[in-house]
Amino acid sequence: MYRAREGQWAFALHRISGLLILLYLLIHVVSISLVLFGANAFTVLHDIYGFWLFRVGLIAVTGGVLYHGFNGLRVAIMDFTGWGTAVQRQLWYGVLAISLIGLLITAWVVVPRILAGH
Amino acid sequence: MQLKVKIRRYDPERPGKDRPYWQEFAVEAEPGDRLLDVLNQVKWYHDPTLAFRRSCAHGVCGSDAMLINGRNRLACKTLVRDLGDRITVEPIRGLKVEKDLIVDMEPFFDSYRAVMPYFVNDEPPPAGERLQSIEERQQFDAGTKCILCAACTTSCPIFWVNGNYLGPAAIVQAHRFIFDSRDRAAATRLAVLNQNVGVWRCRTAYNCTEACPRGIPVTQLIEEVKRAVMFQNA
Repeated sequence: MYRAREGQWAFALHRISGLLILLYLLIHVVSISLVLFGANAFTVLHDIYGFWLFRVGLIAVTGGVLYHGFNGLRVAIMDFTGWGTAVQRQLWYGVLAISLIGLLITAWVVVPRILAGH
Repeated sequence: MQLKVKIRRYDPERPGKDRPYWQEFAVEAEPGDRLLDVLNQVKWYHDPTLAFRRSCAHGVCGSDAMLINGRNRLACKTLVRDLGDRITVEPIRGLKVEKDLIVDMEPFFDSYRAVMPYFVNDEPPPAGERLQSIEERQQFDAGTKCILCAACTTSCPIFWVNGNYLGPAAIVQAHRFIFDSRDRAAATRLAVLNQNVGVWRCRTAYNCTEACPRGIPVTQLIEEVKRAVMFQNA
């Protein structure tokens, strides 16, 4: 493993979160389109999503979307301004903080509902 | 101090050594010694078959870039005291290993040549010098410090998976001429860098900036070239 600093991990996380979001979108499109095969097919699949593992996955998707979106803004700042590269590390810690706070708030709302069996 | 130096070895011409393997050497060194001194000690007193490039030994010729304790550095500019007593040395990544720590630098220099790293100006020479203001000279100052050691290009995760990417070093060299007020070939260089193996492969991982032994803000220069391509304003 190359012992790099923040920039490499920012890039790696951006890729991983991007792939996760893509996977989520594909599943979303496929499962919505099941309505073409009738209400029953649609309901059977959507009942599976009530399983706790999928709901925990949704918390991760929220964190991933926040990270990907805000890190995208960080990249845009670096691309379009003369000062972005000088503060890229600080910007990344900001992105991480925002993503983590969003993730924790989502978990705070969703986890009790999973535990209560809603 | 007593060091354990682990070196990634490979020799395609010797049966049994023709697959990469690790070899460890116990070496006595002073904290102020450079890693190059340690490698010389290994070569001169332990195993003369160890192959690595070195020339000036003072951080100028750019021959001895290696992956040292997981980071690209010049062996001649790295002190033992900054590495600890367990040291790992590998060849730089993304270029074909020829023997031990020696890699084939030809693809790297192909990319270098692709950006026309020389002064182009067909206008009739003026009576005196082609004068520049301090600000004009400052604009490309950082790029002039490059020694073509390949530490930046071979630390880039994009280059590891796509050897066709021109890489940070070639872009830094292009930057040096694109932003030179006396040069007239900026548009041609920007066209080369606007290809899909050009600046747009850069994903701003900053490994190049961290690896540069000359302290060049490589990613910042690449971003300036991206903007020059985008706005055609060099």
